[in-house]
Parts: sequence; C-alpha cells; structure tokens
Amino acid sequence: MTSRRAFLGGLLASGLLPTTGWASVGAPHYISAAKTPNGTYELVGLSKGGDIVFSLPIEDRGHAAAAHPTAPIVVAFARRPGDFADVVDCRDGRVLAHLRAPEGRHFYGHGVFSADASRMYVPENDYENGQGMISVWDTASYTRMGEFSSGGVGPHEIALMPDGAHLVVANGGIETHPETGRMMLNLPEMAPNLSYLTLDGTVVEQVALDPQWHKNSIRHLDVRADGRVAFAMQWEGDKGEMPPLLGLHSRGAPLILAQADAAAHRALNGYAGSVVFSDDGRQVAMTSPRGNQMQVFDGDSGAFLRAVPAVDVCGLSADEAGFVYSTGAGLVQHEGGWAREHALKWDNHMVRVRG
Amino acid sequence: MRLLSIVFLALAPVVATPVWADDDPVITEVIDTHILPRMEVLVGATEALKTADCDADALRPAFHEAMDAWTAVSHLRFGPSETDNRAFAIAFWPDPRAKTPKVLGRILTSEASLAPADFAKESIAARGIYALEFLLFDEGYMAETPRRCALIRAISDNLATQATAIRDDWRNTYRATMLSYSDTAPYRSSAEARQELFKAMQTGLEFASATRLGRPLGTFDRPRPKRAELRRSARSLRQIEVTTESLRDIAMILSRDFAGQNAELRAKFDVLQERIKGLDDPTFAGVSDPVARLKIEILQQIMQDIHEYAELELAPRLGVAAGFNALDGD
Repeated sequence: MTSRRAFLGGLLASGLLPTTGWASVGAPHYISAAKTPNGTYELVGLSKGGDIVFSLPIEDRGHAAAAHPTAPIVVAFARRPGDFADVVDCRDGRVLAHLRAPEGRHFYGHGVFSADASRMYVPENDYENGQGMISVWDTASYTRMGEFSSGGVGPHEIALMPDGAHLVVANGGIETHPETGRMMLNLPEMAPNLSYLTLDGTVVEQVALDPQWHKNSIRHLDVRADGRVAFAMQWEGDKGEMPPLLGLHSRGAPLILAQADAAAHRALNGYAGSVVFSDDGRQVAMTSPRGNQMQVFDGDSGAFLRAVPAVDVCGLSADEAGFVYSTGAGLVQHEGGWAREHALKWDNHMVRVRG
Repeated sequence: MRLLSIVFLALAPVVATPVWADDDPVITEVIDTHILPRMEVLVGATEALKTADCDADALRPAFHEAMDAWTAVSHLRFGPSETDNRAFAIAFWPDPRAKTPKVLGRILTSEASLAPADFAKESIAARGIYALEFLLFDEGYMAETPRRCALIRAISDNLATQATAIRDDWRNTYRATMLSYSDTAPYRSSAEARQELFKAMQTGLEFASATRLGRPLGTFDRPRPKRAELRRSARSLRQIEVTTESLRDIAMILSRDFAGQNAELRAKFDVLQERIKGLDDPTFAGVSDPVARLKIEILQQIMQDIHEYAELELAPRLGVAAGFNALDGD
C-alpha cells in the first residue's frame, strides 16, 4: 500500500473528494467493462443517455463493479478467476487504488459497499479448500481486514440488504480452481444457495432449490427497497429439463420461481446473465445472451410480462423510465426508446453509479 | 490410430439408422460415423476391462484400450454423457485438489461395501478410469490385496455400466433428439444441433490445449511436469494423439460442405499430427527444459490456431456464430 493510495483512500472514506472533477467530463450514470476491437479490455463510464464519458484500460477482462453508496466511486473487479480490482473515480476514470486478492484466493467479479461506505464485502474463492469466502475491506486504506464463509461454494454476486445490517449472497455452487481456469469441478455434487448473512458473517437464512435442480447455479441478484430479492440462474444440467431461471424471495417467505410460457422460456437456453428490479420495484428484468432477449416479470407475483429481443444482450440496469441493457455487439439500449452503438463488446454487467 | 479408424468403419454400418430426406446430413454424418462407432468401441473396451485379471500386468493393456476409447469421445460432453453425471463417473480429471488419491486411500483401508448399488454412491473421484490408473501404475496403490482387486472390479463394472448407458441413449433417443426440432425441444433447429457439435469440437480443442497441455506447461518460470495427464501410465502425449485424431474427424465432417475451410483444417491437422508424431516425450517431462518445452508449446499453439480458425471461418458458415456474452458467460 503506497502512501498515495492511502491518502486517496482516506479522502474517499471521509467524503473529502474534490467536488469538481479533474477532467470535468461529467459523472457517468453506468459503468461497464468492455472489450475493444483490437482485443484489449477497458472499463467504460456511460452517461445516462448511453454516451461514453471515459474509457480506462484495464489489465485483463473485467466483470462487474461495486458502486460507492454516496460518491461517484466504483471498485471494478476482474472477471473470475482474476485477482485484481481497481478503485476508480468515475468523474475522470482515474484509478485511486489497485487491489489484489491474497495468496490462495481470487475474486468472482462482484462486491458491495457497506451503507456508510467504510467497508467493502467481496466474494472470493478459497480454492485450495473449495470454499466460498466473503472478504472484508477497509475502504479508508483499501486493506483487507478479514474474511468469513459465504455459506456455500462459488459465491458470485453480493448485495447489501436495505437494513444495512445484512448481506445477501448468491452462492453459485460451482467449484473451480485457478489451475484449471473456469472448468467446473464439482457438477455432480453442486449445491447452490441464496444466503443471508450478518455483516460479521453469521448465516441467518438460506434458500436452496429443489434437489432435482441442484445444477441450477444461483449467480446474480438484485434487492428491492423492501428487501425482496430477485436472483437469476444458469442451468448446468440436462438440456431437456429447462428449470426456471428467476427466483423471487423475501426473508421468511416461501421462494417463488418464475418463468415465461414454454417456448419463450425454452428460448433462454438455460441461461440468465443479469437481473435487476425496475426503479419502482414493480417489475424485474433478466437478460439472456444465449436467448438473445431480455425478459420482464412482475416483481411481486413473478408473472411473465414481456420478452424484448436483443442479440447477445447481457448488461442490465434501469433508470426511472425503464430498463437499460447492453450487448456484446456494442449496443446500449433504453427500453423506452433511445439507443447508442459503440465499437465495443459490452461485457456481462452494467453497474449503476451512485453519488 | 489407423487401426482404430478401421474398427470404426467396420462398425459404422451396424449402428447406422436410415437417413430421412430432410435430416441435416452434417448432423447424421457426425452421429453415425463419428459418435456412434466410437461409443461402440468404448462399450467394448470397458466390457473387456471387466473380464481381465486383477494383476497389474494383465490389466494394463485393457486399461490402455479403454482409455484410448474414452479419450476418443471425451469431447462429446453433452446429452447422454451428462445424464446422471455419467461422464464424470467415467473420468474425473483434472483434479487440482487431489481428491482421487485421497478417496482411493480411504476406500482401500475401509470395509465399506463395493457392491454396484453402494459403489454408485461413492465419490466420483474414485469411480472412474483415472482412479484405475493409480491402482495399476502408482506404487502407493498397487499392493495386491483382495480389497484392491475388489475395487478394480467395482471401477471396471462402473465404467462398463456408464459407457453402455451413454451408448444406449445415443442409439435409442439422442440421435432422434438431435434431428427433431420444435420450439420447446432441446434443439429448436438444425442450426442449434450443429452448434452443439461445433461446440464439442471447440471444447475438445480448448481442453487439450489449456488443460492437457497447459497444466504441465505451467509457466516458463514454473513448469509443472507432475501435473501432466496420466503421467503414471506414460500416456500424456498419447492423450493428445488420440484426442487429435477424433477432433480431426469431427472437424472434417463439420467442414465437409466448405471446400476451402475443409482443406485448410486438414492442412492444420496434418501439421499438428506430424508434430505429435515427432515428439518423443510421453509424459511431457520436457516442460522443464527450454528446448524440449518449445516443442510442447508448439502443439498448444497449433491447437489454439485451429480453434481460432474454426471460430472465425467455420462457425459463420455453419450458421453457429455466437456472441461475445453468449459464448462465454459468467
């Protein structure tokens, strides 16, 4: 940890960031990782209208980011099994700190800040033991303070519950090891779950699927203001089975699994990439790059509402007017109408910048 | 490999089923001349294992036959091979956390029943052909005890059971599944079925280059010879030879309607097979030597080149090009 990093990190935590940006390009509304036409990787800031605000070269393929709750700061994570993350000032794309997973761990590509932004919680793989961990980072210095079990194997997306006192983690259930890249090592025995944990790692509730669907990897999630959790799944089992790919859960209540009518559901090819609630929470959308569409459901009942075709769609976010999605072909599209084409392959996730 | 090919040809007419006028000929040819004959060989080789004596010298030739037969279908990881985790129960590798030797050690020193119904519940790490290698080639697991012999029997039975189930599903249902399409079926069009076959070829190339070669190669500064596949039985290079023969076969069929791509793929596989033949390093021990290492790296580069060429030149012509996110999700 250099003193410059410590200094900048301290500024972040204390909210003393300068209020005018170094580059004055305007803060982005979204962050997404992307691949450029010449094969390099970038972290890109997008305006609310889908225009590029900044592009920041990164050392390898990115995945998603943790958004600071009040400042225009994100921590952008490498795609698994990457072991790096960049703390970025979104007003100009400046890298404020560069994080590394410790020996024996790698990141999964997601993370989340605490409500007061003093901590960051990051899913990691303890790959020599095949166990999921959540590491705790002090955001004043961006040092890793400790870790606790994620409550499962392969923790992927993580979110803070609205009470600020609990985390919800999608434990995908899939064991991997960096020696064997992204190869899935435990498919016959995989057991995904959705785990609710206190901020010091006590599991307070877990939701698992029916055993016949134990190969349905719970990977991505979003949380509504009232604590309702939507999660999206990726089916690793038999092609012919086609289980639901969307779950809706409120703590203490029964799990709702949602799916479209048979043909529209089949069209997803067993794969959902991102999931978000609409701003008002009434709807929930998920994207399927292997189904070339976004599907939208009722946020309470799980009733299927509509499918929106989009080739190689995966990144997904929302503003007050509707859902916004991005594709591997370079499109950024608002469901309400506007669209922007960029000479980039947008990677799996769009993250909304706060502050 | 020439000998194996003759066996496949001889078997092909036995298992071929009538081709309907509107069946996609690429798909039928892959299934009838590439998949089904190789599955037949796998069933035969695993049945032969069951009847061999427990003595390591007696069993080793049957082990090699069975491993050749498995490796020749190891890229076909969809449908029948994945039902009930059959392929995992045949082949658990790579094993970065060394589960196989751990579970084998536990079973050998326990008295737990090895009857098929009980053994089926045992960890997949110890039920397959990679576990058998330890029992036949690793001094630590070769003491000739009744327990070891019973375990060899249990593994051989399991292998034959799994192979037969995969073969039967291909014959009885999955061939038809890959040729009949509807909006709610596993394949909605022949393009999706072609994509499955294309993906199998690409996955096989990736697995060979990133794992079969990549694991022992490690990095230049830190080569990992002990990670070579099946080094105990000195089969590391043989694995590359066998899988390459199979991948070439499916590549030739998938590209049969595109003369330029077919010729180019043939030329690339020629170079690859020539290089494999010229390599005298059965366990990839050479990864630690800068000069010998280069020869192994070249195999990897050619495989990556074939993979990339197929993605760019063959996939679009087959109508199976996949997007950035669709191809490689997370």
